[in-house]
Amino acid sequence: MKRWLLVRLLWIVVTLLGITFVTFVVVDQAPVDRAELAIARGAGERAFADAGAREAAILQLRIRYGMVDPVTLEPAPVWRRYWSWLCNAATLRFGGPHDDHEALWRRLARALPVTMWIGGLSLLVGLGLGVALGVWLGLRMASRRARVVSSVLLVIAGIPEFLAATLLLLAFSSAWLQWLPASGLRSLGAENWTLPWQLFDFARHLVLPVLVMSTGPLVLVSRFVRDSVARAAQAPFVASMQALGIDSAIVRARLLRHGCAPVATLAGSLLPMLVGGSIVVENLFSLDGLGHLAFQAVTEQDQPMLMAIVVIGSVVTLAAFVISDVLHRVIDARVRLQ
Amino acid sequence: MNAATARPLRKRFSAWLAMLVLVVGLFAPLVANEVPLLARVNGAWSFPAFVDLVGTPSPGPGDQSWKQWQTTLPADSPDFVLMPPWPFGPGETNAACFRQRPSAAHWLGCDDTGRDVLARLVHGAGAVVWLGLPAVLIGGLLGTLLGAWAGYRGRYVDTLVSRLIELFVCFPTLLFLLFAAAFFGDSRLGLVLVMASLFWTSFARIVRGAILSLRERDFVHVARGLGVSEWRILTRHLLPQVWSQVGVTAAFCMASAIVAESTLSFLGIGPGDAVSSWGAMLRQGAEHAVVGAWHLWLWPTLAIVMVVVCCHVLADRLRGDPESSDVVI
Repeated sequence: MKRWLLVRLLWIVVTLLGITFVTFVVVDQAPVDRAELAIARGAGERAFADAGAREAAILQLRIRYGMVDPVTLEPAPVWRRYWSWLCNAATLRFGGPHDDHEALWRRLARALPVTMWIGGLSLLVGLGLGVALGVWLGLRMASRRARVVSSVLLVIAGIPEFLAATLLLLAFSSAWLQWLPASGLRSLGAENWTLPWQLFDFARHLVLPVLVMSTGPLVLVSRFVRDSVARAAQAPFVASMQALGIDSAIVRARLLRHGCAPVATLAGSLLPMLVGGSIVVENLFSLDGLGHLAFQAVTEQDQPMLMAIVVIGSVVTLAAFVISDVLHRVIDARVRLQ
Repeated sequence: MNAATARPLRKRFSAWLAMLVLVVGLFAPLVANEVPLLARVNGAWSFPAFVDLVGTPSPGPGDQSWKQWQTTLPADSPDFVLMPPWPFGPGETNAACFRQRPSAAHWLGCDDTGRDVLARLVHGAGAVVWLGLPAVLIGGLLGTLLGAWAGYRGRYVDTLVSRLIELFVCFPTLLFLLFAAAFFGDSRLGLVLVMASLFWTSFARIVRGAILSLRERDFVHVARGLGVSEWRILTRHLLPQVWSQVGVTAAFCMASAIVAESTLSFLGIGPGDAVSSWGAMLRQGAEHAVVGAWHLWLWPTLAIVMVVVCCHVLADRLRGDPESSDVVI
């Protein structure tokens, strides 16, 4: 187990290096680079005398960002830039030597709680409801009602997050019923309200985003648990327990433990799903979380922010893989980690 | 109920719908267009809609559009035009039918700039198919080959491919697609390659696992003993047994390609309004839903959900799973 964990952690580091390198190279291929973009954005404030002055300003920025060698003025090779990024990133400074790391971390720190609230609640709702629904379905696979519910799940699985969010927004906060707020996490002026009202307000804002983000995990988990429980119900040990006249409640408890254990392995695929979902959901519900930051970073080609978010996202994903393996081991004694 | 007693694929609505979307998407410019399939102008033949498949067709003879020219033709003229089945283009605006509800002329209505919604849906299918199909084909080919190689060879090849799979699985998919679309927005090739590089892992995992369990079976040992070459064992004896699993994966990947494409265009990343896409149509429809233009959001919604669900049902069918055998679609 200890050796397994060690090897696994080593692989995590290697995988992280791979992911960040590929991301770095792809971001690097952008047709318009960061320096040009920064100049174009600031063009309103700073007028350049001529094209030459503009070129000089771009060159200066490129040197500052480490894209051009300051002595020879040749573009620095991508591996050397990646190496310097990596040396900085090792001390959690995601950017060139001249970027404002404090500001970057301040933005990340503001965004993280929002994403964790939405993502954590969605995960809880999706897992809880999904397991319950999956067990219910798995124990009565052949019944007509279970088949109808399965068909409904199949259709829900076909509704992308942006579509569900759009339709729910139309239905509950703009076109049809105006019951729930459409954006943000608190109403205007809510900080002057009493605590229960503030909590109620917060909960009202959470309903739609959590509903949208939990459907993906819900469908995945319930279908997985349904198949797993149905398979467990066919297992020989169930028949032999029944034949021995053991109380059906006990049989069911054994069966459910058997059928639900593999859910632990799903955690590895649920978290990446939430990472993707948060980009869509936060964008649509105007929440200032990590997904929103990621979207902004893509549209502004904010390379340090993009790299920081990719690192955070992949660390979370990789950690989820390890945790799910360990959990699987804890729940199912037959599994051996090598 | 098992696969043998379930309804065959050709009797299922989902299979037919998938074929329809595939064919309509592949040949979208021939199905809905404002330029004719076939035209005879002063004795010279031309095929503008076919040109549209590969490039930019001529907007019409002289300085008129094809439709205007058609109305000015005398009755006894030997010249003629043959319009596509749906004679409206995705970018063709008509101020007279601004945000019009479905009618006899425009079956699904018109959008806020007077463009025909059905024509845009058809070309949206084209966007989905021309992005998803190459991505799934490239990813599928690459993944199947690598997976088969890893499963068959084992040892260090297997370790290498497995690690590679693990690496690619950890990529934040949507984020990666997002900046690929933002940076290579105008060229579809970049997006196709990025998608393929995300899809190949699913194929490789499935095929590797299947080959791994097959290669120790007796018939493989017998074939090897008879002197059949390794390549022939792999391609003739092992791979044919995994095709159905590859098909399942392909259907799922196609579904996620469709979701990804519409999500990106919904978020406004990519080629923009010039190319019609279901996601962009839905965004536009949501903006106009408040004023009661239900037809602008309903049709793209139905298109996306039906096609994605159809991919999932097909995947379940191919797998021979009991779960969807009672789903009517």
